[in-house]
Amino acid sequence: MYQHDGEDVFVIDAHVHLWDATEENIQHEGGEEFIQCFYDYHTTFTPDDRQWSIEEYRKYGADRMVEDMFGNAAVDMGIFQPTYLTDFYEEGFNTTEQNAELAEEYPERFVLNGSFDPRDGDEGLEYLEELHETYDVPGVKLYTAEWRGDSKGWRLDDEEAFEFLQKCSDLGIENIHAHKGPTIRPLNRDAFDVADVDDAASSFPELNFIVEHVGLPRLDDFCWIAAQENNVYGGLAVAAPFAQNRPGKFSEIMSELLWWLGEDRILFGSDYALWNPDWLVEEVMEAEFLQEHRMEYGVEWDLETKKKVMGENAAELYDIDLEAKRRQFQDDDISERFGLEDHYASGEPAPADD
Amino acid sequence: MSETESDGRAGPPVPTRAAVRDRLDRVTDPELDRSIVELEYVDAIEIDGDRVTVEFTLPTAWCSPAFAWMMAVDARDEVESLPGVEAARIVLDEHMHAEEINRGVNERLSFAESFPDADGDVAAVRADLDEKARVVRQYDAVEALLEAGFEPATIASLRPVDLERYGSEETDDRSEDVASDGDDTDRLAISVQEGAVVVTVPAAPIDRYLEKARETGVLEESTEPLFRTPDGEPIDPESFDLVHQRGRLAQVNMSSQGGICDGLREARERRFGSETGDPETADD
Repeated sequence: MYQHDGEDVFVIDAHVHLWDATEENIQHEGGEEFIQCFYDYHTTFTPDDRQWSIEEYRKYGADRMVEDMFGNAAVDMGIFQPTYLTDFYEEGFNTTEQNAELAEEYPERFVLNGSFDPRDGDEGLEYLEELHETYDVPGVKLYTAEWRGDSKGWRLDDEEAFEFLQKCSDLGIENIHAHKGPTIRPLNRDAFDVADVDDAASSFPELNFIVEHVGLPRLDDFCWIAAQENNVYGGLAVAAPFAQNRPGKFSEIMSELLWWLGEDRILFGSDYALWNPDWLVEEVMEAEFLQEHRMEYGVEWDLETKKKVMGENAAELYDIDLEAKRRQFQDDDISERFGLEDHYASGEPAPADD
Repeated sequence: MSETESDGRAGPPVPTRAAVRDRLDRVTDPELDRSIVELEYVDAIEIDGDRVTVEFTLPTAWCSPAFAWMMAVDARDEVESLPGVEAARIVLDEHMHAEEINRGVNERLSFAESFPDADGDVAAVRADLDEKARVVRQYDAVEALLEAGFEPATIASLRPVDLERYGSEETDDRSEDVASDGDDTDRLAISVQEGAVVVTVPAAPIDRYLEKARETGVLEESTEPLFRTPDGEPIDPESFDLVHQRGRLAQVNMSSQGGICDGLREARERRFGSETGDPETADD
């Protein structure tokens, strides 16, 4: 657990991947472009001495991932968010099955999400059922800009997408993570436009819609939608590493998020391996809002807010009992491997605070 | 290398590099609403008689091809609007779609012709970004008015006809308080309360707003409300704060994206650092 001002903070990294972008796995030039683009984001927002080589970045493997996440106790749990890209990568870039390799080895430490693509039709619905039966996935990660044959993307408010959301609702898959991030591809179709979340969120009030990357570069559209739909959440991937080399911007973005969404609907995520929680968690925890922003927005990045954003909000969405986890982690495999037993050996149980 | 205004013979003068830069300065990165000159995207301007070549690079090779297209087309059109320029050639370097964009822009194809696998044209995306730029410029303009002491209800009711350029062509009676301001930028006079009170404010943020408001078609008549909601509707004074807060949010979004672009460009420059002398060789 992260120690902050003498207090323990339970950190759930709500956005992690175990990907394979090795040259052998790439079957379309888009696959190479995609990983190179990711790598640009990695180097842009990673301290110089923590940057990886492109070779390490292509495939880091399960072992390294466990060490990066838990080795220095930066993170207590991770939520896998798959990105299939099966047109680009022969075995997929980061599928549920690939992530399951690790999630099944340490089920207490990972949440395994699935995915769907409404363009797959009935086959896709069957696959979603299969994911539910095999892995009991509590959520899905959706990539609306994914290329599939001639199609360059889809929308969450498509009729077909609604069929899949209904299926999620029927199966009890409650957490819908939609990637809404920087425009990389495809061409002029603005497939990461967040407007489609609005209709989907109001049509499925029983589901939670977590907009990853807080919609950047559509933070304005995202916040406006989230202000009106209380089942819309923001995932901090991409915004979080601003804390490291654009602290003023981090302060401003977070202030906006807290002003529009409040402190209960923002979830920390590293987007590992885009960024590594082993340094990122500390950067975000130790970040301070600028005085001018605190005055302007009337919000604070205080311990209570940090606890919610860094773990409690995700725990709420995924029904994770943090106190039970703390007890469980006193002697699980990860704690034994990295000698973390003391981190979880708190004498007094934390008071329930709501 | 000397620049000449004119070669001394009859006919239009040969354009100067400075004049070309001034035209390019009017081209904005549509997502950031900042000049491509200010953003240092322009790498080279070559003038050969009445032909001008402009080379530019974006922060990353993955910049939206639609945005890259808009900047290339706008650069071409701006430079060609300069007297003495017969044709502008645009060279976008180090972009994943440089080939399609350079060919399309220089052969005067449409976006759809240049990118057969894209879904249609860029007009809708451009309109969307222009609308956001308007909202952000409105925020800056309204901030200037609030700072000058205007009440929200007054700001919501202002019309273009209430604005007067101070010290403009017809008169030049700069009053003491303006002169003593120490700020020699242009100011606008705004009359309120049926002309009973005149307050001067810096012209730049208002002018920037007016330019975009007219460009987007939000403002057509000089008697319509000057400022609008993000949807282009008049502002109900009751919701003034919320509308203004949305402008602030749009500004934060835009500048955050600017932060991402700056970062990507710095990372790219580090990577190509040893090869910056010749952008051609940096291309793989």
